[in-house]
Amino acid sequence: MSGVWIVLEHREGRIGRISWEALTAGQQLAAQLGLTAHSVILGAQTEALAAEVSAKAGGKLTSVEHALLATYTADGFSRALEQLFHAESPDYVVFPHTYQVRDYAPALAAKLGQVLIGDVTGFGEGPVFTRQILQGRLNGTYRHTGGGPCFLSVQSGAFRAEAVEPSTPEIASFTPTLEPAQIRTQPGAPFRESAQTVDLGSASMIVSVGRGIKEADNLPLVQDLASALGAEIAASRPICDNGWLPMERQVGSSGQTVSPKLYVAVGISGAIQHLVGMKGSQCIVAINKDPDAPIFEVADYGIVGDLFEVVPALTEAIKAAKQ
Amino acid sequence: MKIIVAIKQVPERDTPVRIDSGGKWIEETDLQWTMNESDAYALEEALQLKEKDGGEVVVVSAGPERVGSTIREALAKGADRAIHIECNDFAQRDALSVARLLAEAIKPESPDLVLTGLQSDDLGYGQTGVILAELLELPHVSLILHVEKTGTLLHVKRELEEGWFQNIELPLPAVLTIQSGGNKLRYATLMGIKRAKTKEVRRVTPADLGVPASAVAILEHIAQPQKQKSTQILPGPAKDAAAALVEKLKFEVRVL
Amino acid sequence: MILLPATLAEPQSFSLWEKLLLAGLVIASVALFWRRFGVVLDVILRSKKDADFRLFPIGKRVRDFLWEVMLQAKVIRQRPLPGLAHALVFWGFCAFALVTLNHVAVGLGIGFLDPLGLMGRFYFDLAALFALGCAVGILGLFVRRFFVRPRWLGEKISYESGFIALLIFLLMVTYLAAFFVADASPTASFLWWAHTLALLVFLPIIPYTKHLHLVLSPATVFLSRGGFSHIPPLSGDEDFGLVTGKDLTRLVSLQAYSCVECGRCTEHCPAANTGKLLNPKEIILGLRRYLNEFGPASDEPLLGKHLAQEAVFECTSCGACEFQCPVGIEHLPILIGLRRGAVNTGTWEDDHGGKLFLALERGSNALGMSAIERDKFIQKQELPIFDGTQEYCLWLGCMGGYDPKGREIIADFARVMDYLGASYGVLRKEKCTGDPVRRLGNDLVFQQLAEANLEALAQNKVKKIVSICPHCVRTIQEDWKEYGTPPEIEHHSEFLARHLSQLPTAIDQEKIAYHDPCYLGRYRDIYDQPREVADHAGELVEAPHARERSLCCGAGGGLAFLGEEQGQRVSHVRARELAGTGATTVSTACPFCNSMFRDAFASDGAGAPQLLDIAQLTARSLPESKPESAV
Repeated sequence: MSGVWIVLEHREGRIGRISWEALTAGQQLAAQLGLTAHSVILGAQTEALAAEVSAKAGGKLTSVEHALLATYTADGFSRALEQLFHAESPDYVVFPHTYQVRDYAPALAAKLGQVLIGDVTGFGEGPVFTRQILQGRLNGTYRHTGGGPCFLSVQSGAFRAEAVEPSTPEIASFTPTLEPAQIRTQPGAPFRESAQTVDLGSASMIVSVGRGIKEADNLPLVQDLASALGAEIAASRPICDNGWLPMERQVGSSGQTVSPKLYVAVGISGAIQHLVGMKGSQCIVAINKDPDAPIFEVADYGIVGDLFEVVPALTEAIKAAKQ
Repeated sequence: MKIIVAIKQVPERDTPVRIDSGGKWIEETDLQWTMNESDAYALEEALQLKEKDGGEVVVVSAGPERVGSTIREALAKGADRAIHIECNDFAQRDALSVARLLAEAIKPESPDLVLTGLQSDDLGYGQTGVILAELLELPHVSLILHVEKTGTLLHVKRELEEGWFQNIELPLPAVLTIQSGGNKLRYATLMGIKRAKTKEVRRVTPADLGVPASAVAILEHIAQPQKQKSTQILPGPAKDAAAALVEKLKFEVRVL
Repeated sequence: MILLPATLAEPQSFSLWEKLLLAGLVIASVALFWRRFGVVLDVILRSKKDADFRLFPIGKRVRDFLWEVMLQAKVIRQRPLPGLAHALVFWGFCAFALVTLNHVAVGLGIGFLDPLGLMGRFYFDLAALFALGCAVGILGLFVRRFFVRPRWLGEKISYESGFIALLIFLLMVTYLAAFFVADASPTASFLWWAHTLALLVFLPIIPYTKHLHLVLSPATVFLSRGGFSHIPPLSGDEDFGLVTGKDLTRLVSLQAYSCVECGRCTEHCPAANTGKLLNPKEIILGLRRYLNEFGPASDEPLLGKHLAQEAVFECTSCGACEFQCPVGIEHLPILIGLRRGAVNTGTWEDDHGGKLFLALERGSNALGMSAIERDKFIQKQELPIFDGTQEYCLWLGCMGGYDPKGREIIADFARVMDYLGASYGVLRKEKCTGDPVRRLGNDLVFQQLAEANLEALAQNKVKKIVSICPHCVRTIQEDWKEYGTPPEIEHHSEFLARHLSQLPTAIDQEKIAYHDPCYLGRYRDIYDQPREVADHAGELVEAPHARERSLCCGAGGGLAFLGEEQGQRVSHVRARELAGTGATTVSTACPFCNSMFRDAFASDGAGAPQLLDIAQLTARSLPESKPESAV
């Protein structure tokens, strides 16, 4: 059969955005190489998913169905796909680079004597595949050699989900041979941590406030921004020293060290004691009226302006964007 | 319980790197080396399991001579002995080939548990542990934050995306890849380093293990990424700047 | 020379019974003395030998002995009135040595000083003057202890001290009174016996009380390690610092028994003064209690019953205690030794401390920042790279390389150097000097850092270093010696003071309060140079605690990297004091002090004085060379 096979992932009955991105990547790769793009879904019952996918994917859509695939296990998924790819001999297999894929795709590739080229951000003539090394400081270009399928997983956000070329696929199903004894792990249901008092360390978004806020009475302004974002509120040391926010919300060398996806520093100039506590944040936004404030040195985005104007405007804009 | 921890020596985080003349790897001469971070957490988990239940912690690491310092660090923190797979051909090996080396070194030990870090800080394949399980024919779970053992059963806490977690049970022997941050790392002590001097480090070569260098996926060349991180100042009156920021948060940072 | 109109009266003869009684009493007194003193001496001598102890060069030891012991200079200088009172008592005792010897000898019929002879008359008269001084002195000390009652003498009233004071007073009075009675009178006999009894009661009390310092402290001062806060190298593979009694060296034990409990250390301790558990006097007395209970060969951990780990890790290593101690106790080697014992064996657990150690095990700076950030700063600031041709290697340090405020100091100091035409460059690779881990007792990481840096400096052929950070200066110059030969180094205050005549003076004469950083003042003895620089930039005003008595900012000893303090923050207390001088600018010469005060002033809000390093004070009056301002 050959071609480019894209393995789509679902959660709570829906195909995730990153899987559509993988589909785009697979389609583009297939187009470049003059191959056909096929897609695969796995589960115990896949009709509804197949319907969702068939609105977009072309080629052949294979539903790999088995009662033992109802919940994800590395043993179940890798064995099922091993059997499918034995039968289909694909040229390329494309995955979204998710935690689940990272858990089983390397084992699957190893079963077939291959390795996964993981977390791919792009590909070029050859084909060669680009992925980041040394924590994003350099890009590495990889080439697959030898026979057998080439396994890839693509980084979230590297391809556009909207760029999927819709067409109608041919629907097929595949029933792997799986025995309960082959599934060696017993997964429990996913859960979230019960909300602890304040755990800034695991917060995914933080709005942090500094001396620029001037008075305790102005704090609701920042609290509104935090709740619009769904973020935790934190502060630099002087704010907690003054008792305007509890000490447990202090970010910095004598407080907590945080590494959220988004850190919004409002009215914080950026003393070293504060910087060391939040430098690990993935994206830092700084709002400060002093253009020379050191916080701008570490920020990804900066707004130079009066926080009493910028913050309410931002809160409104976020609320609007979320609707 | 005999626990094997596979550790890798990597360039110190955040040290400036230069691409070598071949364009295939970085200049290694003036790099500082350290234990891969998630491997350090794997070691910590192993040491804590040993402190609870007793047993032995054996570290295994593949790489050239310099890896010795990282092995000593692991011994100093409390590992009982080590296996150093001496190989200088990392450039010609992919994750599968490295995992084969480790698997061959680990097999004769018949461990109860194999731990390794989730991912290396340099190449970042994040596959070695999972492939290792496949080669050793052991069950595995990746991205583990917490491990508990009752009898021959492991109860582990796995990290999922977006703040979700999952508890998983699996039988021993098993392979786990450990996520950073689940424990507090212990610091190395002078006493540990001195005690480590008398601990056994067994050296083996790829030839001893019968695993020649091979690669299915070849790293052809490396390059500086186009864009360096720099601060984007969003100009204009408050309202415009706020709107521009929301756009960025939505489409570039993707947090909205 | 005859000083007094009267002569000393002595009993004319002693019966055999009297002689036997006297001999018996002397033997009993000496035996009682030895019963305790012998034990103390045994404990000291059974302690581990100090591996690095060298008696020579002896000149400095003799000088210190004359200055601190014979002249009592330190005691008088740091507490003038009580110090003088103490000196009078001490000198009285010295003068009395011969008198006492003769006194007992007379009782046994072998007196050697004739009160009527020229020599005897002269000496007794002289001793009488000293006795008068001593009596006045002891009276003064008595009044201070029982009526003035400074809090560092402890809350409990020491009746023992009162009794001793009484005995000393009695000794002097009975001696002086003998000048006013006739020889062979019953009164003379009474005075003689009263004097003798006071003496024989006093002697055995000495080793059982803090008055042991009378005997030990001259030796303690003479034998001290020398060098301020000198951290001795670890010796052998089983030395991890002060872990158990077995690690206590003879010097440590000697010092523990020498403590006179005067409380100068505690009076000046920033931790003790801000409500923390640490009390340096209690550390020394805790060691003494440990030695009394377990002895020097014990496996009992030092941190436990008598010494609290928490207290040991509250020390800012400011050194005020060691600087003040009149009996030669070296607190810092002890406090840091206890930390070494806890850290080198892994028994100290602290989230922030662990993070610091890991940051320096795995990275290059104490702040845990990416080394790339330092590169970016060097590029942005266009700092020249050291290539072996320049005169100075400008050491950035963690604060200068990563802290936004520290970077401003570097930028301004570089401007001054440029203005002066000094040639300098910065290292491409520079690691933390290891100051915080050294003071926290992590010898492993300290050694790694010292060796890596020494190698980098040697590779780059650095001959002279200048640094804005007193901690870097101290650590490079003194602490690295254990691992190699560091290049010559100076603090930027020394550099600036030397070039002051070539720098423009300030037009604006604002009031500038200068804060002495501990590591520049007490550790390096640099007080005048930064003052000259500050005075050049405005009008220098002094804080209540200045120079040798400066109050710590709270950052030293690795504490800048640890968590929240107990009690008041040291930095806030000192910042308030500096602001209280009415100065419009507070100036420091240490980036750690700067960052501590910055935080403290920040929470005080508006009205706080401006905070500038002395390099920034200097740079202010330079002509604008570049159109854009630095950083």
